[in-house]
Amino acid sequence: MSTVYAYPTLVGKVEATVKGAHIDGKPLQLSLISRSERVVALHQVEREDWTEGVLDLEVSVPAGEVDDGPWARVGCFAVLSEGATNTRVVTRLDKQRDDSVWRGEVRVHRSCHLARATLDVCVVGTYGGIDGRVIGTTDAPWVVDLHGRTPTRQRELDIVEVDFRDGPEEWLRRFADAPWLIDTEREQPTILLNTSFEGLSPLLSGAHGPLEKATAGLLAAQIAADAWSTMFHSALADLEFDEDGTPHLPGGWQGAVLRSLLPDVFPELPLAEALAEAHSRRADGRGWGEVQSRIQFAAARRGTLPKNLTAAIRAVSRAQGGARR
Amino acid sequence: MNSYPVDPPERLASLTTGRATSFLTEGVRAGQDEIPQVAVVRAATPLDGYAVRWSTAPVREILDEAMDRFADARTDADAWLAPRLHATVRMSRAEAADPGLWNFLALAVAPDYVLWRHVPAGQSEEAAPKKVNAARFVGPHYSQAFARLWWSAEMFRDGPDYGPAVVACGNQDMINTALRLDAVDHKPTALAMARVLQQWTESGTNRLGDRVNALCTAVNTAGSTLMYEVIAPDDAPDHAARAAWIDEAETAASVPWERLPDGPDDGSARRTSCSALTRMFEQFAAEAPLRDRARAGATAD
Repeated sequence: MSTVYAYPTLVGKVEATVKGAHIDGKPLQLSLISRSERVVALHQVEREDWTEGVLDLEVSVPAGEVDDGPWARVGCFAVLSEGATNTRVVTRLDKQRDDSVWRGEVRVHRSCHLARATLDVCVVGTYGGIDGRVIGTTDAPWVVDLHGRTPTRQRELDIVEVDFRDGPEEWLRRFADAPWLIDTEREQPTILLNTSFEGLSPLLSGAHGPLEKATAGLLAAQIAADAWSTMFHSALADLEFDEDGTPHLPGGWQGAVLRSLLPDVFPELPLAEALAEAHSRRADGRGWGEVQSRIQFAAARRGTLPKNLTAAIRAVSRAQGGARR
Repeated sequence: MNSYPVDPPERLASLTTGRATSFLTEGVRAGQDEIPQVAVVRAATPLDGYAVRWSTAPVREILDEAMDRFADARTDADAWLAPRLHATVRMSRAEAADPGLWNFLALAVAPDYVLWRHVPAGQSEEAAPKKVNAARFVGPHYSQAFARLWWSAEMFRDGPDYGPAVVACGNQDMINTALRLDAVDHKPTALAMARVLQQWTESGTNRLGDRVNALCTAVNTAGSTLMYEVIAPDDAPDHAARAAWIDEAETAASVPWERLPDGPDDGSARRTSCSALTRMFEQFAAEAPLRDRARAGATAD
């Protein structure tokens, strides 16, 4: 201990050992824990998408010295920290009566660490009427090694450009004046953009300048909201049922859409009940009209309509001289 | 000043500090030369995924507004911008620890903001134009123009409440000094410091900057032998709630300008712990010697 202490501290050694570890509930191979190097190699775990690791920690403290020493209320704490993420997590360890070893579980949250976290142990006690004084620490910390960024989501909608008026798909001809359509009959729901609608696809794919970009953003949000709402209705018409008539979430995109929107449609209900409620209202028409507003809200939100509308309004207002209301 | 000459790239990316530094010529730091944006973007690595939260437009929007709104008092922009930047670029601490993201923001998305906010005040010598410190572009989290704001909001917010972060960012000594301390990694400690600062601000205490620096020193010194986590226990943050808040960035509306946005609802600090530390820090402050500024000129940066 290099710090200067104005009170008595432990002379004997405080030693910490990581006895085992779990990643998202699954045990970590012992080969990934090196006691001689004091390293837990979480980065060698084959899966990249884990969220929480748990380290089983055992700490030996010079028991006789603690018992006979001048400190009161002695406790033992694990300190997991990483400077890069400004993260410091302190975990209280426990000791059985008559046991000389302190034990505890240290949780490592992937989202709070970047590359290398250090694990120290502090023995803390009360001395001279002051609580929380550090009276001993491990000489060298353990290192928890990890790296990599969290992976992110994939796209949920396909977008295809089609000429509705003169294109090969005859069924689209009667929609020649529609700027877009949502096709939920395909394996993956698809937005069909009508290339015979002048200016639409250049606007969406190559907007220049703040006003065009804001308009394109607003349009994209409108289309997305439309798509979400159409997919929701389509998925709700495609449910599977138990013998007693309880609806189940379907697989595929239908399940994903329902899972995504139902919490916004019926925020007060858990998912299974929300699904049953949506189905029964649709089936017997009770309050189905009122549900439309909820679906509209959920779909607009999922399509980022409020966000893009605000952006568009502000862009227009700025373009017109930035007059602030 | 607030209309940026070229369109910024649409999505955030990561630019290593080495590459970033190579663009930071004297002319760039003095605001005389343009940064070669195409070369910067080419040198950067795109971030994974299509997530909306990596769009630059919402960031540009609040920066433009801040430059407009605080044209006459640049330092005041910090308290307005910090919570709004944090709620716009929503990410985990692991993601925010990547300096590449902050480098890219400073060099490719908003070099004009870095110059506007951090060009040294005061008269310049004729021969030497005033230059912005390179650490404002590529520095550590407590210096870099955007990282310091994001991290201040992160360290000083109380769950969804950005109020204490606004208090902390309202004082340059607090944001410049406290953010360096390991002690603020403990939420009740950070909140107690903000509370002491707020009391001083409200009562119109004199020599505020000196008092804040003395408080930071005292908290840090005591923290080397005292465990604040033991004296003032707190609950672990709700990581799932934070993850959900980050996911909501996909659909969330732009941050409000006139009221504070809501931060992640990942748990407020224990009141009793904050109060205990506030009392302790008040005592530290009462006993701490203030620096003699008779000779040292105080500079706002």
